[in-house]
Amino acid sequence: MTTAVAEHEAHPVHQGLPPPPGGWRRLLYPGFLRAAWTTPLFFGIGCGIVVLCRWWGGWHPYWFGSIIVLVAALIAAPIGFLAGIGAFDYWARYAIGAPTVPEDHSGHGAYSWRDYFRVNTDHKVIGMQYLVTTIIFFLIGGLLAMLVRAELAKPGMQFFDNQTYNGLFSVHASLMIFLFVIPAFAGLANFVVPLMLGAPDMAFPRLNALSYWLLPIAGIMMVSSFLVPGGAFASGWTGYAPLSVHQPLGTIFFNMGVQWAGASSIMTALNFLVTIITMRAPGMTFWRMPLLVWANFTTSLLVVIATPFIAGSQFFVMFDRVLHTSFFEVGGGGYPLGYQHIFWFYSHPAVYIMMLPGFGIASEVISTFSRKPIFGYRLMALSLMAILVLGFSVWAHHMFVSGMAPWLRVPMMITTLLIAIPTGIKVFSWLATMWEGKIHFNTPMLWAAGFVSMFVIGGLSGIYLGAVPIDIHVSDTYFVVAHIHYVLFGGSLFTIFAGIYYWFPKMTGRMYDERLGKLHFWLTFIGFNATFFPMHLIGTEGMPRRVSDYAPQFAHWNMFISLASFFLGASTLVFLYNMIVSMRRGERAPGNPWRALTLEWQVTSPPPVFNFDEIPQVVGNPYEYGVPGAKHAVLNGDRKAEEVKVH
Amino acid sequence: MRRGSVVQLIVIGVLAGAIASAVALVPGHLGIPAWLPEPASREAGRIHFVFWFVTGICIFVFSIVAAVSIYAVWKFRAKPDDDSDGPPIHGHTGLEIAWTAVPTLLVTAIAIVSAIVLAKNDAQGADPLRVDVTAQQFFWTYNYPEYGNKESDILRLPVDRSIVLRMTSKDVIHSFWVPEFSQKQDVVPGIHPTLHITPDKVGTYPVICTELCGLGHALMRSRVIVMKPAAFEQWAKQKGG
Repeated sequence: MTTAVAEHEAHPVHQGLPPPPGGWRRLLYPGFLRAAWTTPLFFGIGCGIVVLCRWWGGWHPYWFGSIIVLVAALIAAPIGFLAGIGAFDYWARYAIGAPTVPEDHSGHGAYSWRDYFRVNTDHKVIGMQYLVTTIIFFLIGGLLAMLVRAELAKPGMQFFDNQTYNGLFSVHASLMIFLFVIPAFAGLANFVVPLMLGAPDMAFPRLNALSYWLLPIAGIMMVSSFLVPGGAFASGWTGYAPLSVHQPLGTIFFNMGVQWAGASSIMTALNFLVTIITMRAPGMTFWRMPLLVWANFTTSLLVVIATPFIAGSQFFVMFDRVLHTSFFEVGGGGYPLGYQHIFWFYSHPAVYIMMLPGFGIASEVISTFSRKPIFGYRLMALSLMAILVLGFSVWAHHMFVSGMAPWLRVPMMITTLLIAIPTGIKVFSWLATMWEGKIHFNTPMLWAAGFVSMFVIGGLSGIYLGAVPIDIHVSDTYFVVAHIHYVLFGGSLFTIFAGIYYWFPKMTGRMYDERLGKLHFWLTFIGFNATFFPMHLIGTEGMPRRVSDYAPQFAHWNMFISLASFFLGASTLVFLYNMIVSMRRGERAPGNPWRALTLEWQVTSPPPVFNFDEIPQVVGNPYEYGVPGAKHAVLNGDRKAEEVKVH
Repeated sequence: MRRGSVVQLIVIGVLAGAIASAVALVPGHLGIPAWLPEPASREAGRIHFVFWFVTGICIFVFSIVAAVSIYAVWKFRAKPDDDSDGPPIHGHTGLEIAWTAVPTLLVTAIAIVSAIVLAKNDAQGADPLRVDVTAQQFFWTYNYPEYGNKESDILRLPVDRSIVLRMTSKDVIHSFWVPEFSQKQDVVPGIHPTLHITPDKVGTYPVICTELCGLGHALMRSRVIVMKPAAFEQWAKQKGG
């Protein structure tokens, strides 16, 4: 880190990239213009490889639609796009032995809106790119949910045919999971973690930029599957084989979309791990790290270990389709349950990938707005680690009725129920942090407190699902739909909102509108509970999930749920209006509007391009509210003041 | 803490518990459908017991959490111009041990009850009737090997007799569920999982596919008719479905 700072002092920082050259040379300059010809070029190369291979092997027809789509459109063209916008330029020069361009940091920071639309190595710009992109996919995913609810408002078929309906909820879930919750947390952490550590950036800024640019590729892939013949992928976000092997072409858009999003997650996670381990400011021991950093540390470990499994599962499904292998095809000796084991070995830890960063945000917000130290800081960090370890030993609780070895159920039930203990510790510690505090119910605190209450309900319904006999009754019913929305919406999304409101002043340099923020919270809170709580009831009553039509006995509740969900959807408009207007015209934010102690609040809003003018010296814990004279870190100004005092 | 605050906390906790209990108990009355369908098998009776056992524990935990959070939100709200900090409490070992130990006991109790019920529900009774269940997109077929492989598209079962369903699928994964029996089993190609049911109430119930199996998934329904043993024998020995 010191070298990076020294380097930046040695070379004066350019105010953004130099202007592009004129004439035809402009086509070689990294950016969308270059991507406009490299993408089709790579598409063509992909087509060429397919045709050549098929000609060489004597396979007719040489031009085979689904293989062309897979190789040329879903693999080669995205690589061409990345090469065009310049994601590989530095590495490419390095790899071919050409003299590398000295790093002048001109690709760092944002000086105009254009700097958000190029490969940018500034973690703060990348954080914003992540957040805006993920919110766009959140809106698309939300609209798909509205369509699902419109169809379900009445029994019978209203608007869509079955295949389209199955596509709607499959793409809804996939976007929300892979393009919203996971990367939105990565985006928040991208902005905040280096600041919290006292670092000038992430450890690998170019890798960081690449991880961002993989995301729009994955998202566009998943959304565009609606346009291909046969419609969008329609076997749920779980894509169980053998069904998914025999679905129309859209399925490979899911198989490949997951690869791009997964690669993005893994790269970001590696980046976080190296950053957190090696780039902490002097004095920042592990036991002095803010809990958000702890949360992202454990999440990154989960991502790095687990994500390759879902990548494998989707490759196998794709191989069964295009290469006629038989990983999951009984006819060729395959094993359908193998898919579920591999899939859930990722997708259960993924539940924690989607929750632990939220725990971190909740800890920051609750401590700051209660004006009290986090209760049981070390136990809070250790319970994150406990969840990490236990999280890998519970995957088969998604498979209690799957037909797997029956003996596996009781051990998996025990580990599943054990996770309630570290999770309970976290909930009780948040409540104890609020106890006797001086609580300020600003918007971030409302979301954090709302999160704790909703997560308790989601956690308790998780106990029902963990107990095997009850799970046998409610598995694959609306009870499960209710549960996952209580943990992913009431849990993850509430904390994402808490984080966005909390760091909005830091990110934009402006304050959001507090009244609109509170309105957004209450509308969402009411709409959320009205939508999802009744789903528990119709689930235990007997309504299965993933159906476009249902028995008439559930008609009243479904109409109620659909109306509530439209109300819930509309509440998002308040959020969008608040964000857009406040970003342009909000009141100027001071450096530390919440009087917080962590490092990101000790610099200006928005922070300087390299975060800290001088490396901060960490001298204490991050949550010492109420301790007279306690400091988390000493910065430039303070240090001078202290020197003056000494003399 | 002052005595008054303890009383207030307890009152809030009792109120929260009462509301949660109402949410648990009122459905089934006042025209609101009950939480669980009327059980029609012995297994369902046991599963419902676990459901209500867990519900009791959950109401207990919910009441405590609700009491503490509502009280905190109500009493510890800062005055608008109050910029002071709260007391710097960093932890309390006794409290932390308590909220590790008590949940451990509760989940252990749930695990034990669940494991016992699971073992009972998986045990097959004396003189079981075997029925082969075959799923395919998008319908169910039932075969009775003890009755000359009699085939039917409606599952007919004698009441109060242990039934072993031996299941398989011809194409993709389906799942067999009768809400009134509470038992559920995925029907997977290539393997033959079994499901044990002891129907104890004569009647007609829906069979629902609960694993997404493609276009016709929502409509992949069938019926199970639980009959008196004599009526079942008579039907089973007839020719034709």
